[in-house]
Amino acid sequence: MSGGKVDIKVVLLGKAYAGKTSLVERYIHNRFLGETVPYQNTIGAAFGAKTVTVNNKNVIIGIWDTAGSERYEAMSKIYYRGAKAAVVCYDLTEKASFDRARFWIGELQKHEEGCRIYLCGTKYDIVEENPALRSVDEKEAKALALDVRGEVYVTSSKTGKDIEKIFINIASDYMASKAAAAQKEDDEEIVKLRRSSKKSNCPACKS
Amino acid sequence: MESIIQDNVDPIDLKNYEALYNEQSRRGHVNEKTQFDYALCLVRSRYIRDMEKGIALLEDLLRNTKDEMSKRDYLFYIAVGFVRLKEYGRAIEYTEAICKIEPGNRQAKQLESYAKGKMNTDGLIGMAIVGGAVLAVGGIIGATVAAFKKKPKK
Repeated sequence: MSGGKVDIKVVLLGKAYAGKTSLVERYIHNRFLGETVPYQNTIGAAFGAKTVTVNNKNVIIGIWDTAGSERYEAMSKIYYRGAKAAVVCYDLTEKASFDRARFWIGELQKHEEGCRIYLCGTKYDIVEENPALRSVDEKEAKALALDVRGEVYVTSSKTGKDIEKIFINIASDYMASKAAAAQKEDDEEIVKLRRSSKKSNCPACKS
Repeated sequence: MESIIQDNVDPIDLKNYEALYNEQSRRGHVNEKTQFDYALCLVRSRYIRDMEKGIALLEDLLRNTKDEMSKRDYLFYIAVGFVRLKEYGRAIEYTEAICKIEPGNRQAKQLESYAKGKMNTDGLIGMAIVGGAVLAVGGIIGATVAAFKKKPKK
């Protein structure tokens, strides 16, 4: 399920047409097909990987781009299993997509505690051009993210705005939590050693 | 595409979706989504018999739907099934069918080129095996002939 040699499994979740595939397309291939190629909704899931460098270390991010269509709800649940990060996308111009983001966040909280949430409002270029088209309030998005100790991003796959930033933050957050976990393990190891050395001094306690 | 092809189902998921499917069949009606979920698990199973069953269930869904987008998705997973079964030629028939419904579908194109690539490498490996066998047989004949030729000299 991890998709080859991958350090961080990332899953993209969200309503159909929220722009998940475009986001991956921009991030991995640095291109935007939205204006030249007609919209194709994803079948099942697609996979892409990219190496990022954090603190001079290479980290391979494996991205599962799930289909937004409700037909694949069961399958998407399978794909977020074991994910370290979820980019939950909603379309800034579509209220229903935000409700769907709320649904996915609920699912993740229930089943995948260890998965960090990065809430991502897409298609910012449209809103920038015509602010009246914005249907999801910034405050609402921030409140939702705060609830789950996640982060909020506003992106545009057309211009590339903040796309790179999400994944760099995912990688550095992951490295930081990994370092913290290793530190914790070391501390526990020291405690254990101390205990066992005490025991060995007293043969009667050994049994 | 490699990751999609090699993605194996968790046996627990397969069991759960199978139970749901069997429950509905007992009651006399399996809904489309249940059959689809079960078929997707089967196609991603490690066992050939499961993959074949998954393909059969998808074929059945394909025959019974009029919705073009559903057809497209069923065709895609039948193709995935055939690639997993290493029946690349058949897989390509299905990816071509997808492009008739949605010309230029990226996932179908990727799957098709993956299948074509595999077909070529598998073909080359096959030829290498046959070639190796020919060389080996040739070597044995050569050695035997040499041995026979030597004898009279003694």
